[in-house]
Amino acid sequence: MLKKYPTTRYVLLRAIWYFLTFLVALALNFFLPRLGSDPVDIMMAQSSFSSPEIRKQTEENLRKDFGLLQISDNGEIVRDDNGKALAASKASQLVNYISQVFHGDLGTSFKNQKPVSQIIIQALPWTIALQLPAIIFGWILGNGLGALAAYRRGVFDKVIFPLALLMSSIPFFVFGMVLVYFFGIVWEIFPAVGAYDINLTPSFSIDFLVSAAYHYILPFFSIFLILAGGQAIGMRSMGIYELGTDYIKYAKWLGLKETRVLAYLFRNAMLPQLTGLALSIGQMVGGALITEMIFSYPGLGMAMLTAIQTNDYPVIQGVTLLITSSVLLANFTVDILIALLDPRVKQSLAMDAN
Amino acid sequence: MNFSKLALCGALALSFTLISCEKSGTETAKTSSGYPRGETLYLAGSQWGDPNTFNPLVEPWLVAWPANDRFNLMYEPLTAYNSLTGATEPILATLISSDAEKVVVDIQPEAKWSDGTPVTSTDVKFIYELWKRFPQAPTSYVSEFVSEITVDTISNNGVNTERVSFFVNKKARNNPLAILDQLQAIRIVPSHIFEKYLAENNNDFNAVKKIKCDSVPVVSGPYTLAQYNNERIVLVRRDDYWGNKVLHDGALPVPKYIIHPIYKNNDHFAINLQKGALDASMNYIPRISEKKKDGVNTWYDAPPYFVPGSMHFLYLNNTKAPLSDKNFRRAIAAAIDYQAISRLALSNYTPEQKPGLIMSDGLEKKFYNADSVAAHSVPLGDKEYAKKLLEESGYKAIFDEKGSLVKTLGPKGDTLPSLSIKSPAGWSDWEAIVNLVVRQLRSVGIDVREGFVDGSQYWPALPSGDFDLIMRKPPVAVTASLPWNRFNAIMSSRNWSPVGDGNSMNENEGRYNSPKAHNYNKRVDILLDEIPLITDEEKLKAAYTELNNIFLDDQPVIPVAHLPEEYYQFSSKAWQGWPTEKNPFAPPQLPWVGSGINTLWKLKPVK
Repeated sequence: MLKKYPTTRYVLLRAIWYFLTFLVALALNFFLPRLGSDPVDIMMAQSSFSSPEIRKQTEENLRKDFGLLQISDNGEIVRDDNGKALAASKASQLVNYISQVFHGDLGTSFKNQKPVSQIIIQALPWTIALQLPAIIFGWILGNGLGALAAYRRGVFDKVIFPLALLMSSIPFFVFGMVLVYFFGIVWEIFPAVGAYDINLTPSFSIDFLVSAAYHYILPFFSIFLILAGGQAIGMRSMGIYELGTDYIKYAKWLGLKETRVLAYLFRNAMLPQLTGLALSIGQMVGGALITEMIFSYPGLGMAMLTAIQTNDYPVIQGVTLLITSSVLLANFTVDILIALLDPRVKQSLAMDAN
Repeated sequence: MNFSKLALCGALALSFTLISCEKSGTETAKTSSGYPRGETLYLAGSQWGDPNTFNPLVEPWLVAWPANDRFNLMYEPLTAYNSLTGATEPILATLISSDAEKVVVDIQPEAKWSDGTPVTSTDVKFIYELWKRFPQAPTSYVSEFVSEITVDTISNNGVNTERVSFFVNKKARNNPLAILDQLQAIRIVPSHIFEKYLAENNNDFNAVKKIKCDSVPVVSGPYTLAQYNNERIVLVRRDDYWGNKVLHDGALPVPKYIIHPIYKNNDHFAINLQKGALDASMNYIPRISEKKKDGVNTWYDAPPYFVPGSMHFLYLNNTKAPLSDKNFRRAIAAAIDYQAISRLALSNYTPEQKPGLIMSDGLEKKFYNADSVAAHSVPLGDKEYAKKLLEESGYKAIFDEKGSLVKTLGPKGDTLPSLSIKSPAGWSDWEAIVNLVVRQLRSVGIDVREGFVDGSQYWPALPSGDFDLIMRKPPVAVTASLPWNRFNAIMSSRNWSPVGDGNSMNENEGRYNSPKAHNYNKRVDILLDEIPLITDEEKLKAAYTELNNIFLDDQPVIPVAHLPEEYYQFSSKAWQGWPTEKNPFAPPQLPWVGSGINTLWKLKPVK
């Protein structure tokens, strides 16, 4: 089937695989949070009630609201002979959840009764605004420097390589704290906390945009520099490997211009780096939890952390669903791109076809 | 590839989304220049996550500051308790009398809601009797304490005042002290608004609870909600607040705005206090004395810096061997070096540790009987005593040649299970306490280990009794009923239920004194029932002494530190005139709860 169209066949096969992975991930997202303590127990323990009856009543109401109880057709709670409310089975909850997801409904947070989609929509822009530029520019700078270091070697490499090694080996939360300590507290050059001046209201005013940009600098650099360091190291070693290959030697013997050789080098060394880029963009939506905590920066990481701490199933499921789908989507895109870009893969597809 | 254009479009789209998330209440978006520092007070430490709802009828732990708990900036209680003087001060009402029969208050005739409607007994009865209509109402616990509410009108110089009497429910809890507490704990809400909501929703209480009450809420307090988002909550002063004239000689509270920034990290309180970007906070900041040079101050200039108001405990599972042996528990109390805990784990924030459940200073001093405490308590921080007590009770500790504990043998020669101290991971002060306690107990031969767990495991472990030892601060507010409510939270067997799934206790989680046990001590519950009804000071002291003696003999839990109810710390960079030991015009609280709120009328902006 589709033997004549190897690329289409490849894309379709991949798509089917990714869809199956998605379904498995969906079930895991559903079951894993439910292995821990019960969200209603967590809520109830933090409250104080004078009598066990009122406590039971409140508990039951919460469970009913959260869809954790069996409900009969006329909307009543189903009870056993002792009057104890029966819990809804995991299977029926899962079926419920999956049908909701396919209807585009992510549910409502247990903790704050907000629609999960709204929580995500509020947090996602900050996450993307912080990380996407940091990832893309970090990737560009890192790969540029790495390729140059590989090609030029000498003093250039002796400076870049240790620096990049240093940057990439610092855990980024340590780096973030160092930035906060020196630039935010000791020298007071940049604000240490928040995404904008707390006395401002988000609006399209110059004041707000300036303040947001000013607050953006430290968190941005805390991700950007570390990422660039890691990319530079990867690119440098890929570059050195490619430099030893026959096609580069041949190009050099032919007397091609240096920039031309560098371009060939870059194109080939870039393939694994491209995969890395797509993956980090895919994972990005999970939020940079540590960065968000260090800088009190809004974002999905914090939303996810609070949800996990209170076992707020719908929010955990919603965010993990987002992460799963974007990682899968990013992987899928890379698979397709590589099939299109890498002549070796193309070749092998064509050979399969014959 | 036109990347820059794409990036620009993306950035614009993002900023639109960000901006549309801001929710504004009574005030339309402020001008872009923001809130002027000289008119804005920054307070923090109460709101952690995203604000959900400002509906005061929702369970308090789901509601955002300041519509939750005991904050009286927006919704006001009838009275406020002054934790410094012990006085019950008037807010919406004045306390007239309180005895074993009833608690009587007069509603302020001038009190008004922000829409001009007067605050009346209808509003009081609405919230106090909500349980009759909706058993799941968050204030339904009132039913066990108040049997009936009556209203009389008394005329005074032509002014009609409503006199409300809360009759003690003698058949249930028979406890006038708790009614006094409720005068402060229960905030009065506008019944005309909520009756309207109920009518619109066919009397469906759960539907009314879904109303957010975040847009032009009708409140009686000095401030109201202006704006909120995930980063902060902004309150704006109500210049027509009725209490300015009645309670504050016509003066306005000084700050025009109060902003509660929502930080995601404990360090940000200290950083912002030091920078002068935050004016006061209520959470634990280590080594506060080192921050004095940056203008961060506390009630006392020297240790303990804060006024102790609450006790933090190590709860013991009294149903589980060897913790079921009271000598074993007493040995734990003796073995812990409380001074080391204060110095190493708590930055000297706690005064010298005295045994028992009554504080030796402040308002509880009058109940503290030093002689009987000395007679009944084990010596604190005395390792030799602890070792001797363990040995005499048949326990034997096996140490290796390096002196570290291998195991503990019980009286029958059996190896005792290694005990674990549960504590929430990331609560740094408690983690430090637990680390020290483990080291100290192991050195006398008690086999314990740290058990830091996630909050999702910590909280459910308490009511179900799923622990050996656990760190705990019982929800005992600084109120008129101290120290009774502390004894009650720790020793009451009223709702005693065994450890296990589906069984939960919200007091006495250590399961001390089971009513079904052969050695059940009836006196504990009798005293807990009697104390709220005793009015004679001498008899009261005798009753407290007896109860405290039982506590010291049995040692069901270990008090590890006396800490403040709120870590009241403030910066004088933007605002001056904070209450301190030298200028104690208000209690050591942030100006948002109880009579701490009076500070708002006394602050002065630094020019």
